[in-house]
Amino acid sequence: MEEELKQIVASAQDKAASVSSRAAFEAFKAEITGPNGSLTHVMKGMGQVAKEDRPKFGKLINEAKQSVQAVYEATLETIEAAEIAERLGPPIDPSLPSPDAGRGTVHPLTQIREEISRIFKQIGFTVAEGTEVETEYYCFDALNTPKDHPARDLQDTFYLPDDADFANVSKNTDERYLLRTHTSSVQIRTMLKGEPPIRIISPGRCFRRDTVDATHSANFHQVEGLYVDKNVTVRDLKAILDYFFEQLLGKGTTTRFRPHFFPYTEPSFEVDFSSKHLAKLGSDWVEIAGCGMVDPEVFASVGYDPEVYSGFAFGMGIERIAMIVYGIDDIRYFYQNDHRFLRQFV
Amino acid sequence: MKLSLNWLKRYIDLPESAQEIADSLTLLGFEVDDIETTGVPQLDHVVVGEVLEREPHPNADKLGVCRVALGDAVGEKSIVCGASNYKVGDRVPVALPGAELPGGFKIKRSKLRGVESDGMMCSGKEIGAGEDAAGLLILEGRPELGTPINEVLTDSDTAYNLEVTPNRPDCLSHIGIARELAAWYERDLAIPSVENLPAPSDRSSDQDLFEGASVACPDDCPLYRATVIKGVTIGPSPAWMQALLSSIGLRPINNVVDVTNFVLHECGNPLHAFDARDIEGKRITVRNANDGETITTLDGEERELASRMAVIADEKKALAVAGVMGGANSEVKDDTVDLVLEVAYFNPTTIRWVSKTLGLSSDSSYRFERGVDPVSLRFATDRAVQLILETAGGEVRGPEFVAGSEPNWNRTVALSPDWIRAKAGFEISDEQIRSSLERLNMTVSGDSDWTVSIPSYRGDLERPIDLLEEVLRIYGTDKIPSGSVVATATGANDHPVTEYARQATQYLVGQHFSEVVNYTLRSSDEQNGWSESVAAMPLGLKNPISEDQTQLRHSLLPGILEALRLNQSRKTGATRYFETGRVFREVNGKVVELISVAFAECVFGRPRSWKERAPDDFYQAKHRTEVLAQFAGMDIGRFGMTQIEDDATAWQAGQAAIVDDPRAGISAEFGLLNLTRMNAMDIDGDVMAGSFCILPERLRAAKRVRFQPFSLFPPSSKDLALVVAQSEPASQVIRTVEKIASKATKGFEMESIHVFDVYEGEGVPEGRKSLAVSMLFRSRERTLKDKEVNKAFDSIQSAIREKTDYEIRD
Repeated sequence: MEEELKQIVASAQDKAASVSSRAAFEAFKAEITGPNGSLTHVMKGMGQVAKEDRPKFGKLINEAKQSVQAVYEATLETIEAAEIAERLGPPIDPSLPSPDAGRGTVHPLTQIREEISRIFKQIGFTVAEGTEVETEYYCFDALNTPKDHPARDLQDTFYLPDDADFANVSKNTDERYLLRTHTSSVQIRTMLKGEPPIRIISPGRCFRRDTVDATHSANFHQVEGLYVDKNVTVRDLKAILDYFFEQLLGKGTTTRFRPHFFPYTEPSFEVDFSSKHLAKLGSDWVEIAGCGMVDPEVFASVGYDPEVYSGFAFGMGIERIAMIVYGIDDIRYFYQNDHRFLRQFV
Repeated sequence: MKLSLNWLKRYIDLPESAQEIADSLTLLGFEVDDIETTGVPQLDHVVVGEVLEREPHPNADKLGVCRVALGDAVGEKSIVCGASNYKVGDRVPVALPGAELPGGFKIKRSKLRGVESDGMMCSGKEIGAGEDAAGLLILEGRPELGTPINEVLTDSDTAYNLEVTPNRPDCLSHIGIARELAAWYERDLAIPSVENLPAPSDRSSDQDLFEGASVACPDDCPLYRATVIKGVTIGPSPAWMQALLSSIGLRPINNVVDVTNFVLHECGNPLHAFDARDIEGKRITVRNANDGETITTLDGEERELASRMAVIADEKKALAVAGVMGGANSEVKDDTVDLVLEVAYFNPTTIRWVSKTLGLSSDSSYRFERGVDPVSLRFATDRAVQLILETAGGEVRGPEFVAGSEPNWNRTVALSPDWIRAKAGFEISDEQIRSSLERLNMTVSGDSDWTVSIPSYRGDLERPIDLLEEVLRIYGTDKIPSGSVVATATGANDHPVTEYARQATQYLVGQHFSEVVNYTLRSSDEQNGWSESVAAMPLGLKNPISEDQTQLRHSLLPGILEALRLNQSRKTGATRYFETGRVFREVNGKVVELISVAFAECVFGRPRSWKERAPDDFYQAKHRTEVLAQFAGMDIGRFGMTQIEDDATAWQAGQAAIVDDPRAGISAEFGLLNLTRMNAMDIDGDVMAGSFCILPERLRAAKRVRFQPFSLFPPSSKDLALVVAQSEPASQVIRTVEKIASKATKGFEMESIHVFDVYEGEGVPEGRKSLAVSMLFRSRERTLKDKEVNKAFDSIQSAIREKTDYEIRD
């Protein structure tokens, strides 16, 4: 019997090498420890063993069982390792490129708009929105623009037909619909809805009846800001714009006000900046924005008392800022959407 | 407006350089668009020299070494020169070391081929006197040695192109700008004297020539002055006047016309000279035009007038379009002898309308429509008379014919220096404020509460705030100090539209889409070709600028497709694009402006890869659209989804779907775009796209989420295969089963149900399909027993058999 056990263990060790699947393993196991297995058979023969020999044989059988178990475990390990190897396949070449689509990109105009919004949010300005279709009242009248101001001409502003009817753009009386020429209309509607303090910026799409060239587009983007409160001063306006342009264009950027004229602000200024960070532009003054103190007439049209409140407004072109910041020389790139342009701004 | 520096210097002393003056003008609020210098600019260290002797250069055949006399102050110099057009004894411009020639060329003492050269003899081109670069500029008339060249060549001038804002019509003239510079530099302004003219009362009357002027439309012409000048001789105007007119781009015509132009640009008053012979009936009437009346203006065009326009007329005909342009029938001619000179004040609104209606703008109309200083009419008349008498001879006759009266312009503004400081936000002394105003010819009276009287030419100054701007202008707007940023917390958030666009952008960028930006205005062809319903929408502009931009966009997709096509044709390798923006659609008879996000992916155009990925399909487009709707708080699965079944839209029949709910203010489209149309648009490959629109007013700030407890007990699941009509949407089947299940389960619920298999073919009858659904049951309170789940499952099945035409497949 001892021989027989040795034989079973040796045979198990021997055959194990050729067991390569789980099914073969089960069959292999059955051959040894299954109901009709060789080891089972020996164990069944324990009954015939003399009582005094039983401890000895019991020990031998246990040893054989342990050996066989070790063979099982080793075999299973090998099979599992082979299975994993098969599941994994050959090793990867980490240098091969991913076949997936390249990363998406955010348009540079959006990026600049978001950057502007972020900077202004730091100092308490939140984004207000309004419709692109506006009415003459909110785009011009409420902003103290004279009735015969050239900006209202059919030459300069896009109008909708006289019978146009927009469900979600409200009129003041029966004025004409137009495509907004600036986002100042958002300021008017914001002031009409609420009470000071007001501290908003309104980025958005605007339209002027311009022929497209390297620096003009009939369709462009602007961001305007408005702050209304008690005791707002010219100096506060300068402080805000200095802060903004230094954040946007880098430390050491300075601004300069030049007198100008807008119907909706008094006094009015144009803003030049000078920045060492923009090599191409040098240290000369570059025009970048318009601004001024809200004209009392504008406050009157929204029902704010100009004796109590004062405020300032400013506006600038998003395309122009993007062109300066990124060094883009033609506004048309923004609307062509060539991927070789878009992917540069990730 | 064009401005000549020489002309300005007639009224104010301006020793500054042309650039310094431009900088001052800029800070005064007059932006200088360009500066053009003609003739010899201001050159230092360039003087008259005489060639005393010329020796050949020892090392260069073509060069000469000259001894040059430069006057007592400089003495003689040795200068190497390459020119050959001069001879000993010629006087030429010599640039001495230290001179800087136009173009930035600096003269230094240097050696030329081994010979010392102590300056440079110059050609005309080198010093900006003409284009001749072939040889030295030989100066005629033997000017004094050592004379600065600018004293010899005096034709230099600088012309500024200036932007004068519409509130400052008083600055549309040289005196107007000189007045500003006088305030800026605190200098005297020298206005030409007209004292030498005989007083109107001393002028002899000449009623035979002209009998008078009257105004029939005083609203359009509040004040009209006519002056008679007898016996002029028409000829060219003097050279100085011609030079000044030319410097601002005006063509000299004859002495009388040139004087009217000169006075217009000198003091800003348009005036007009009529040939007295042509005034029939010897009387001028300012009246409204008759409908259909015509006049041939000085530019040779025949113009039809309308009754709201004002004309200057004699008893028979119109002589001029008032304030805009004279008529050819009464212009000053070579043989004109007697003149009637008109100086008037016309209503700005009238002139603006006439000019716009006729499409005719002139230097006169430009000024009248912005507002001419009514008080200046007196001076302008006298100045023109003075200059005509000077340049064309003749005699001024009386009486003076005046119709109407000066509009009342007297104005004072109450102002306190404390108020100025409060608005400015920085310290500026009473004295600074007062002197700023006084430098601008305002008079200030009072101690702490001031009364400021405004000059007649400053119609733009009416309120204290207007004076703040004047104070800051003279103080220097570039000196406004910066302060610390005051940040008011308003408690507001960014607008929901902004937040929505951000979320959508982040999501689609994360899905490898690139953002594009397209024009809002589209062509009618593109728009009408999209679908019949879009073609019927009233989205056209009243006054488009070009044929390819006539309509408001109804969708972002056409622009995105254009980007796809461009990138395909340029082979950039990119295939996924999206845009966020506003679109316009007609809903229930009215147009609405909607917020939209759209994306499109083309399976074609990506570079070939070593490992191919399966292209996106309808269900990805659907999923993305659903997510975009979810950002807006909308679950589009709950609205009716219509499959697109015909080819009348830009979508592929059977491969796309629409959700449209005007009440909820949303619409969505997604799926495959029409293959034939894509082909017609030169787009290769299938385009899978999606678009979501929502009324901006329906976007709200996201609500705070409330936590929902969930069951901690295990679920129990059951599968069911249902054979249904092929046309039955899966969502309908799910809804039906959900409804049945909610009744069949008691004490627990069906937590979820989803389709895990769709099958058509063998074993399923023609026209039907098999949907396999998996249901998950769970209780919040306990582990479910098999028995109760089976019972519920049984009753679900029997309810399906009883209440639906679905067949349960075993």
